[in-house]
Amino acid sequence: MTNQLAARAQALPSSDGRAPVEEAGIREFLAFVVATETYALPLSCVREIMRVPSVTPVPRAPREVLGIISVRGQVTTLIDLRQKLNVELAPVSSRTRILLVDQGDEILGLLCDRVKQVHRLSETEVELASVLGADASSYVMGIGRPGQRKAELQQGGGKPASGSNVTDILILLDPIALLKRGTHA
Amino acid sequence: MPQGKDGERAKEEFLAEAQELIESLSRDLLLLDAGIKQGQRSPETVNDLFRGVHTLKGLSGMFGFERLGRMSHVLEDLLEDLRLGRVDLTQQVLDVLFEGVDSFQRLLGDPAEQSGIDVETFTARVRSLARARVQERNIFEDYELDPSMLGVLTEYEEHRLRTNLEQGLTVFRLRVRLALDVIDTALDGLKERVKTIAEIITYLPSMDGGGGDSIEIEMLLASKKSETELRTALNRPDAALSAIPKRQRAAAPREPSKAHAPEPSTPLTPQSPPSAEIQAKPEVTPVKRSAADGDVSLRSITSVVRVDIRKLDHLMNVVGELGTVRAALARLVEKLRNGAAPAWSSEAHRIHRAFQRHLAEVQDGVLDIRMVPLSQLFDKVAVIVRQVAREQQKEVRLTITGAETEVDKLIAEELADPMMHIVRNAIDHGVEQPADREKRGKPPAGSLHVSAHQKGNHVVIELEDDGRGIDSNLIREVAIRKGVLTEQAASDLARDELLNVIFMPGFSTAREITDISGRGVGMDVVKTNITRLGGAVDIESEFGRGTKITITLPITLAIISALLFEVRDRLFAIPLAVVQEALRMPASAVRTVDGREVITLRGTTLPLCRLADLFGLGPLAPGSTEHYVIVVSVGNRRLGMCVERLSGQQDIVIKGLGRSLANTQGISGATDLGDQHLVLVLDAASIIEEVLLSRGGALIGAAS
Repeated sequence: MTNQLAARAQALPSSDGRAPVEEAGIREFLAFVVATETYALPLSCVREIMRVPSVTPVPRAPREVLGIISVRGQVTTLIDLRQKLNVELAPVSSRTRILLVDQGDEILGLLCDRVKQVHRLSETEVELASVLGADASSYVMGIGRPGQRKAELQQGGGKPASGSNVTDILILLDPIALLKRGTHA
Repeated sequence: MPQGKDGERAKEEFLAEAQELIESLSRDLLLLDAGIKQGQRSPETVNDLFRGVHTLKGLSGMFGFERLGRMSHVLEDLLEDLRLGRVDLTQQVLDVLFEGVDSFQRLLGDPAEQSGIDVETFTARVRSLARARVQERNIFEDYELDPSMLGVLTEYEEHRLRTNLEQGLTVFRLRVRLALDVIDTALDGLKERVKTIAEIITYLPSMDGGGGDSIEIEMLLASKKSETELRTALNRPDAALSAIPKRQRAAAPREPSKAHAPEPSTPLTPQSPPSAEIQAKPEVTPVKRSAADGDVSLRSITSVVRVDIRKLDHLMNVVGELGTVRAALARLVEKLRNGAAPAWSSEAHRIHRAFQRHLAEVQDGVLDIRMVPLSQLFDKVAVIVRQVAREQQKEVRLTITGAETEVDKLIAEELADPMMHIVRNAIDHGVEQPADREKRGKPPAGSLHVSAHQKGNHVVIELEDDGRGIDSNLIREVAIRKGVLTEQAASDLARDELLNVIFMPGFSTAREITDISGRGVGMDVVKTNITRLGGAVDIESEFGRGTKITITLPITLAIISALLFEVRDRLFAIPLAVVQEALRMPASAVRTVDGREVITLRGTTLPLCRLADLFGLGPLAPGSTEHYVIVVSVGNRRLGMCVERLSGQQDIVIKGLGRSLANTQGISGATDLGDQHLVLVLDAASIIEEVLLSRGGALIGAAS
């Protein structure tokens, strides 16, 4: 089942100079927080994490577009993930970050509330989006359960798993589906 | 053929080089064509063509373009015959030449388009033309020409001499003594001067030789001018100039000007009796090609550097970044002035000034590299005109002025399609058949005038024909039938507004309009392309008399001067090129006419646009007002934009918004003012369009 997912992740543009870690179906994801949930994007499509510079709003832009920012001279569109994911809006805080994500034909900035960490997920730690039912949003690739493998290993060794890690779930996002034009809410 | 990556690169170079050659070939052909129509021969042009084809032949051999090589070889032979007068320059020959150059173009391009090219058939046609040689007679016998001079002429020079004499020009002999130490420059100077008044058939050191440090040069010239005029123009009292007189004894029996004399003879020995016919001579003639033939083409390759436009774009971006560095430096200098030691401050000021000056030079330089003359585009127009006119069996006289006007390379490229469209339409549907034209009292040949001139930071291109024009009543009828306009709306529109209906998408594809009105196929595409470049297109037409289309374009898209202003505390920029003036808002003078706010500016009505409302920027902050009106104009439309504050002007580099926002109407891009804060740059053309034509838009909405 996860082969499909791996193929999909592989099809994503990978960032320069960073060789994808190919270790028996292990994929790297960058986890970040938007409102109350933790999401993750394939690490290979994230070019850079940056603080919020001055943003210029663009009249007539789609609702989820916060505006444009200058990234080393390049005009970059900034998208508010809260707006995109249909959750309540919040002001920028000191922990707010921008993920520069390569969407294929354009690099976009995604505003998130907080960046957490990189997770290395094995096949057993990923559930496909179909567990959410047929009407799940197209941009949800699946659910990540980091620590699952560790927990299993530890259980095999007779030790109980430490609670919090096991219950931490990641909503894995497909950047191409997420940022496709013309799919604004 | 070179292999590998270098091979690829070399091949690309070849393609670019060949492309340039072919473009210049078709330019020369058009010149030749124009010359024929005016009854002139232009030997220089035939020579240029010959050299071009010769170079192309060599290049294609080197890079393994075998068919191209064979094709150019055949054409080279034909041109050689033309050059030497063995073949007459007829319309038929010209057609073959045009066909050949067109085939070159296709052989370079898409292999799919090459199926129709049959090198063998083409070769056979050229050979048959070459066989239709002109009969010659020896006109040299009629003149007092020095046999020793004739003996050293090349076949080409001989041909030129003969042609000039046949056309009734006078041949002069010029002798000048030139100092040996400056012989090169002196000779070039002399040649340049002579060329303006006469054709140089040949020049050589005089038989009498020179003494010591000087040498006597003898030239053979052909000119329409009289000896006195020539003498004045030359302005060299030391030169001996004499016209070569006609032989007295030859004058009586022969008519020198007409070429139907029965007995041909070999030209080299005028005293000997006529011997063999020229066409019976062996094919191979020893041609002494002057050294210049080989040199010229080599030199033209090396003096020009071909650069990928993307490299220039990159350079331009860097220059833009430097501009923002400069702005930051300026702010620092300003701060220093208030704090640091005076000596340091003035030193910083001086450095900044120098930086600014050099930066401006670099900027101008880079911009200048990007500029190309419109002649590149107009040449293509000329080819299309000729082609379409022949297809339609119409006569079209094309006149071009202002071809030297320069625009950004990018604009010239983008302009090609719209121009082709307009020209094609003008001939297809505008210009009538010769018989129809005569019935209407017009000359049988239609005229198409293409002109360009610079107007401030804009280039204005006009295409004017004297065809049948556009019938606005028919536009009205069709627009109503097509549901593009309601009956009410159509009758409300003024005549010139009606003409603009042909630019509307649903309308111009209408089949009827192409048959009845004279213009209209795909005019919406023309408009879209030009608007995208920040330009405008306007149309004027008088039914029965002709149509004029005016295209207004910015000269460059890269660095521009912009006016900065604030609306609702947000900073915006607008290209200064479209700004006519900025004035204080005369609050009391705002009137509402037909639901639109207007003011009167020096006796004319200026429609207003509240940018904050257009862009949905919210209400005015308490206590602030829209103090200023920025008057913008594109093409012949004007609009006043109401803003709160003016914030000065600055040179900016416009950067496009990302693909996700590229279609945002009214905004052409953004610019970084040097503090990492982006400012939006407004697209005046599209705002004017949106505001002033919204009435039409509303009506369309109502109609559907």
